Amino acid sequence: MRANKWFTPYLLLAPAVIWVLVFGLWPFLNTVVLAFTDARPLQTPNPVGLDNFARLFSDDRFLSSLVNVLVYVVVCVPLLTLGPLLVALLVQTKVPGIAVFRTTFYFPVVASVVVVAMIWQWMFDSEGIINQTLQVLGIADGSINFLVDRWKLIFVAISLTVWKGLGYYMVVYLAALASVGRELHEAAAIDGANAYHRFWNVTVPGVRGGMLLVAALISVSAMRVFTELYVLTNGTGGPGGRAMSIVMMVQSVGKGLNGQIGYASAISVVLFLLAVGPLAFVGVMNYGKDIRLPRRKSKKSPTAGNNDKPLEDSPGVVAAAGAPHTGGEGGGVQW
Amino acid sequence: MKFTKPLVTLAAASALFLGACTGGDGGGSGEEAAPVPSDATLSGTIQLQTWSLKGDKFTPYFEKVLADFKELHPDLTIEWLDQPGDGYEDKVLQQAESGELPDVVNLPDSFAYQLAKAGKLVDLRAADPETMDKYVEGAQAGYTFEGLEGTFAYPWYLGTDLSWWNTEQLKEVGVEIPTTQEEFMDAAKTAAEKSNGAVRLVSTIPDITTLEDAGVEVYDGEKFTFNTEQAAQALQGYVDLYAAGAMPPEALNNDYAGNAALFTQGKVGFTTATSSFANQLETDSPNLIPQVEVTKRLVTPPLFVQGISVAKESDNMQAAMAFAQYLTNDDNQIEFVKLAQGFLPGTKAANDDPSKFAAPDASELMKKATALAAESMADADPSTILVYTDDMKQFVGQQMALALQGKTTPQEALDKSVEYCNQSLQS
Repeated sequence: MRANKWFTPYLLLAPAVIWVLVFGLWPFLNTVVLAFTDARPLQTPNPVGLDNFARLFSDDRFLSSLVNVLVYVVVCVPLLTLGPLLVALLVQTKVPGIAVFRTTFYFPVVASVVVVAMIWQWMFDSEGIINQTLQVLGIADGSINFLVDRWKLIFVAISLTVWKGLGYYMVVYLAALASVGRELHEAAAIDGANAYHRFWNVTVPGVRGGMLLVAALISVSAMRVFTELYVLTNGTGGPGGRAMSIVMMVQSVGKGLNGQIGYASAISVVLFLLAVGPLAFVGVMNYGKDIRLPRRKSKKSPTAGNNDKPLEDSPGVVAAAGAPHTGGEGGGVQW
Repeated sequence: MKFTKPLVTLAAASALFLGACTGGDGGGSGEEAAPVPSDATLSGTIQLQTWSLKGDKFTPYFEKVLADFKELHPDLTIEWLDQPGDGYEDKVLQQAESGELPDVVNLPDSFAYQLAKAGKLVDLRAADPETMDKYVEGAQAGYTFEGLEGTFAYPWYLGTDLSWWNTEQLKEVGVEIPTTQEEFMDAAKTAAEKSNGAVRLVSTIPDITTLEDAGVEVYDGEKFTFNTEQAAQALQGYVDLYAAGAMPPEALNNDYAGNAALFTQGKVGFTTATSSFANQLETDSPNLIPQVEVTKRLVTPPLFVQGISVAKESDNMQAAMAFAQYLTNDDNQIEFVKLAQGFLPGTKAANDDPSKFAAPDASELMKKATALAAESMADADPSTILVYTDDMKQFVGQQMALALQGKTTPQEALDKSVEYCNQSLQS
């Protein structure tokens, strides 16, 4: 029996490892390799060096899609980081019937984004309800072409994203708010802090981790925006392709039997690099201390490897440190 | 060190697994396609793949065809696969990449071109020249590609576009149904001016076919050449119409069926659509039918063709050839287009007598549309520029829309379009 034990951990790990290799790592590496080729379906790819990347920066559609997603990020991140927090604070209040409001705010999350985008398309049509309302109220003389103008289209798409995302991130904040102790608010109130000060000095620091996570998730989602713009423009990307997102470009360029897979892969690689930024930022903000500390420690004592501060607090290590076989000053576990 | 062996084993297994994920060569029996003797004994299994035809309307037809063929060849099993309308191109691509293309497969000409170029389809003319001669010549041309030797599908069902008019809207502005493209441009302008933009006759942005109809050479066999002064003038005509309010703004974002949708919503007074649009009107907008008139296209009508191809890597070539021919023979084509109203069969003999496939319960509008489609078929042009991809089409459409909005000049839009198309050809 003992002889067979060595493979048990591998057997248990195998499904997850194979899953990650096949559906994560392999497609990713394949995309990176293809980005340096002229690959097309059913044809042997030839290496083209950096040609695909060079082409990107002379492609008007790519440059405008890059600007579009950056605008999307800049507008959506503050709106969807603070907006849901305020809504969560509102629906956290314990009053009769508040559950109805909580559910109502969550409804848009359940709806399919394609269906919502089609309703938006109908509402913002040149003869749609928004235009009619604006004209009846005397705000606009004629129809405003929301769906065929770049910035108006982006505005309509952002409004859809924000409307749909509000409820989702509200739930994230409700969970984070539950961990902010009531006694902190009471103590601040006794010290004379009003609601505004308590919000900035108690609530916000209390949900800081959640906010960072939400901001990073929104940044990444905004960079990968697709459905809203695709449905609102019927997949055309608007006049001049100026309302396209980066993912729309990947889809347009790379799809089909004659798709330019090499070029589409290069766009995907750039998108990946853009999306890694916010995630790395959150990683550094949340774990930066842990990452930096060992390095500082190791400068002081090359043997301090396992004995840095966070681990010292761990009961197991403390016990080991007190054991007779530990090394000298600052020494870690020796066996 | 004791972990080295398992790690090496895991790495090797992963490499093999990942290698398998990239697809194989598909193999195939190596059997050459050839005429199938009428008394041939067929056995084994083959797959038939159709495109968005499984449903209440067509399933009984296919079940009958399969059962009849089974009666002739009891040892042969045919698996019928039907793929959804959306994403068919991607599905076919995956199948071709992994060597899993069904033995008998329904393909439009543009898909067939890409697969034939990659050596995935049987040259059916070379395999059985006598049988190929039975099909409509114009439709055969749709599957005979420049630079490739052979014909790569048996024409199955054919269609063309017609012009559909909202006579009520035309009456409002005192305009008669135009009979030429020039008259149409004048009528669109007059209608927009007289109705202050309420009656709009232009329902789609111009494309390379618009330029072809204006006499512009779009592609010279090696590169795109449609950025001429003549093309810019043709586009300028549409720019003027858009400025005059002859086109709804949403048309700038419309996909290929968008113009018909605008027509059924009453937002435009004209659209192009196949003859089956009569049925769609009955479902989507029955109130509109009394005021709808259908005529032939004002320009050269396009030829839409669907074909049945045989995969070169088929493991059962003889059965695949025999069934492809059986499915597209006169009788089966006639029975099929009786259901697919408004379309025409792909064989010469089946087209000899249109009364054979006229649906008895069709509406008056449908009957008229079918008759006009049959008449138009003689002039229908199958020549599509097969190197003109969806991505190019989208780019050109985007530039045309920009020009219509006046945000770029027609010449600039055409120059950019030609540059992009030619760059895409080379890359």
